[in-house]
Amino acid sequence: MGWVVFGAWFPSEPLPSNVQQVALISSEQFEKLSQQREAPQVAPEPAPLNEPAEVQPAPEPAPQPDPEPEITRPEPVKPAEPDPQVTELPEPQPEPEVPIELPSAAEEPDVASLVPQLRPETAPRPVDRVAPEPVAPPEPDTKIDDIVQPEVAPEEGAETEQDVQEATAREAANDRIVTEENEGEDVAASAAPAVSKRPKTRPARPQPEPQVTEAAQPAEPAETQQADAADAVADALAEALAGGADVEAPEPSGPPLTLGEKDALRVEVSRCWNVGSLSTDALKTTVVVSVSLSQDGTPDTGSIRMLSSTGGSSTAAKQAYEAARRAIIRCGSSGFQLPPEKYSQWRDIEMTFNPERMRIK
Amino acid sequence: MRKILAALLIGAAAAAGAGAAMAQDGPLRIEIDQGVIEPLPYAVPDFVPETPVAAEYAAQIARVIAADLSGTGLFREVPASAHISKITGFDNPVKYADWKAVNAQALVTGAVSVNGNQLTVRFRGHDVFAEKELGTGLQFNGTTDGWRRMAHKVADAIYSRITGESGYFDSRVVYVSESGPKNDRRKRLAVMDYDGANVQYLTNSASIVLAPRFSPTGDRVLYTSYESGFPQIHVLDVGQVQRKVLSSGDGTMSFAPRFAPDGRTIVYSQTQGGNTDLFSMDINTGAKTRLTSAPSIETAPSFSPDGSQIVFESDRSGSQQLYVMPAGGGEARRISFGQGRYGTPVWSPRGDMIAFTKQNKGRFHIGVMRTDGSEERLLTASFLDEGPTWAPNGRVIMFTRESQGSAGRALLYSVDITGRNLKPVKTPDGASDPAWSPLQN
Repeated sequence: MGWVVFGAWFPSEPLPSNVQQVALISSEQFEKLSQQREAPQVAPEPAPLNEPAEVQPAPEPAPQPDPEPEITRPEPVKPAEPDPQVTELPEPQPEPEVPIELPSAAEEPDVASLVPQLRPETAPRPVDRVAPEPVAPPEPDTKIDDIVQPEVAPEEGAETEQDVQEATAREAANDRIVTEENEGEDVAASAAPAVSKRPKTRPARPQPEPQVTEAAQPAEPAETQQADAADAVADALAEALAGGADVEAPEPSGPPLTLGEKDALRVEVSRCWNVGSLSTDALKTTVVVSVSLSQDGTPDTGSIRMLSSTGGSSTAAKQAYEAARRAIIRCGSSGFQLPPEKYSQWRDIEMTFNPERMRIK
Repeated sequence: MRKILAALLIGAAAAAGAGAAMAQDGPLRIEIDQGVIEPLPYAVPDFVPETPVAAEYAAQIARVIAADLSGTGLFREVPASAHISKITGFDNPVKYADWKAVNAQALVTGAVSVNGNQLTVRFRGHDVFAEKELGTGLQFNGTTDGWRRMAHKVADAIYSRITGESGYFDSRVVYVSESGPKNDRRKRLAVMDYDGANVQYLTNSASIVLAPRFSPTGDRVLYTSYESGFPQIHVLDVGQVQRKVLSSGDGTMSFAPRFAPDGRTIVYSQTQGGNTDLFSMDINTGAKTRLTSAPSIETAPSFSPDGSQIVFESDRSGSQQLYVMPAGGGEARRISFGQGRYGTPVWSPRGDMIAFTKQNKGRFHIGVMRTDGSEERLLTASFLDEGPTWAPNGRVIMFTRESQGSAGRALLYSVDITGRNLKPVKTPDGASDPAWSPLQN
């Protein structure tokens, strides 16, 4: 009972993550790709192709302000002929590229969760990003990079030299949309923390193994990592071809995830769930998406599919699903932080993406 | 003893219940209800020129597409300097890993070829993380003169595939161009692409012109001119630049015209004997119908997109408020109840919202509300904001902002209906009274 009640307060420790990119193209994915190519046959609108061409020469004598005539109507859309050719292309390509991807997919520095969060001292200002946790604007000369890099400091006693690297600053964010009209509101709010401090984790018990692996990983020189990655890809490929993942799935029983572990996963996914570019219709659509994870916590992209949607049209559901899929793939690229001993519990996940609270930001 | 046993049993039952609740049946289920709202990073490498002359267009088209997408505030371009791989052939496989590495979530690739003055643009959108194309590749043919329009069409297609909304880049805006000092301002009608390019003037500056409005097909413009000394409604054919007066010159003042969605009827205000009411007119026959007959001022009418209702402003309650009535006239329902005065309502092309100007406590706002007046949201606040107009997809609003003081001038601004992405629209001179066209064909 005690474990049931308190388990949630003690988030499990980060696990060693073997960064292993599974860039497989499953047969379903391949099928989808090829299906899409067949679709174009249906020309959206019968294109009045000839019309514009003929119209054009005629209106030239017209007086100077003459916007319409010059503009040819670009013909609607023929299915680009190249499509069929592309079908074969994507397949061979991705594998050799995987190693390059690895360094970039490094985990985001995730420090803020234990620090009490104050509302920004200054009035909320319109920034591009709205996130659950507001982030104060970085120093003026900070460069916000598209590639998120963890901080690398020289490690004492490390055998190989490492380039020192600054962590990428987190982009400024508000916890709601700030318009010109409501800019500056709530400035007088007290300096009281907007979010209460989380209880500290229990002092670490002596746990020899995981620590070692974790420390060893970042110390590895980059070149070795790349070479290893190539091997890893080959291994992964062999394993996948042998159908290993499914066969040696651990026993289905075992302790379920604690609330804390589920919460951690929820937070991880929500950090990449960007609803900013969704239509208002898609923002009313809740989608349930299923995904299978491999043992290192990375999602099998071919397994991601929409189980159901409620609240919007099929187009809206498609956009909402695509945003959800991007969130799972992006934030799962370096493996979700889940306890490996409970793999059977989290191998298959159904995630419900409900944008209701995002709509009213 | 029995009590102890009972307590133990209850405890055991509770534990079993909790255990059952925690036990997992089927896959792990979690609900995500928090996310982020941020621009989606995308990349548009220069299009591939397939003929020698095409090179100049290939780069420029990519730039216009990027300006369109980034200009919405919903997307952020990953600059070319960060690109790892180059697109060297339109049909070459895309190295998705290279684009993932720079966190480009969407990628637009394309090719341009020029044959004489014929321009062909082919393009594809890619969902980088899903490693697949966004929809199917498309091709547009046109003339080299129309290269910007073709770029806008590509951007519209990409925008629509990612957001699920129709685009608005291949559209135009008619507005009143203003030059000269505040006390001697010269006004003429101008039309431009939505992004401020290709400005063309439709009238000279001999007389004051006001409130131009596009027809539902974008081929004609209604506006009010003081050419005769009185405000009169004119209609102008944009292609031919031919115009004619619609209202009769019987000493009445006619203004604030707007087309009905059928393009044959207009609705407008007419002042007769000191009272201003709403009328509708059949453009072809000139037949007029009175829609209101209150002793108050009724003006600024705007149709719902299905043509069944009209929203307008009236001071019949003592202060200027918004009302909705059937298109043929009849009982009007007040929809604005907040503090301050409401004016210039415009029905969204999607039919779900009404944009308006609000004046309260010495400041002007552009705002939106549902068609029943609920969920009022103010998007801007300044010395003088007025005259909202909707983008064809109902997602963006353009309006006039006038700055204070003798050196103050009017400029056009646009804002997303969430209140984000407020920014000026580039015009060569001062500008006011914008009206957005429908999406061009």
